[in-house]
Amino acid sequence: MLDHLTLMALDALLIAVFFSFLWKHTRRERWLYFWKVFAALLLGAIALGWLMYPFPRG
Amino acid sequence: MADAGQPRATHRAEHLPLPLLMLLGWLVPGLGHLLLGRRLRAAVFFVVIAVAFVVGLVLDGELVLPHRGDPLSYLASIATLGNGVLFFVARILGLGQGAVTAPGYEYGNTFLLTAGMMNLLLILDIHDISVGKKDW
Repeated sequence: MLDHLTLMALDALLIAVFFSFLWKHTRRERWLYFWKVFAALLLGAIALGWLMYPFPRG
Repeated sequence: MADAGQPRATHRAEHLPLPLLMLLGWLVPGLGHLLLGRRLRAAVFFVVIAVAFVVGLVLDGELVLPHRGDPLSYLASIATLGNGVLFFVARILGLGQGAVTAPGYEYGNTFLLTAGMMNLLLILDIHDISVGKKDW
């Protein structure tokens, strides 16, 4: 069973590849956009997790 | 890059009506782009969507169908149906039943829904390319 972070990274990777090829034309544009989306999804989720940390469960 | 460059002739697709092209694009991820001559993007889109779909099934995700009294299941159904032929093949094979108690259930659902929604976006892209709004 893969852990949460790995699965999140895999989902972010697939989405970043998809949108970089959907919305960008040249190789350079695609690479730049890929890293932006990948980093935004991965780091954004980690940041959101930290922000929610003080809130109690249930 | 093979896929980049100037607008190109769309030999195989120019004889197909747009709704049929969009239907084919929905059924098989990437097929619409392939018929429009966008071979690299067709291959990338197919691989990305197929990988997301298979990972979703492996993680015991559910191919959601509408449940009475559960409005969100209707939205989820649209997303999972977006997977086209992958959805139908999986249902025929009895896959994607979803095990709520499985550790990967929610993760699997996320991958299955993501794959379907990406394929639905491809249909819009096929439309834009066909009508000339997008010339690459």
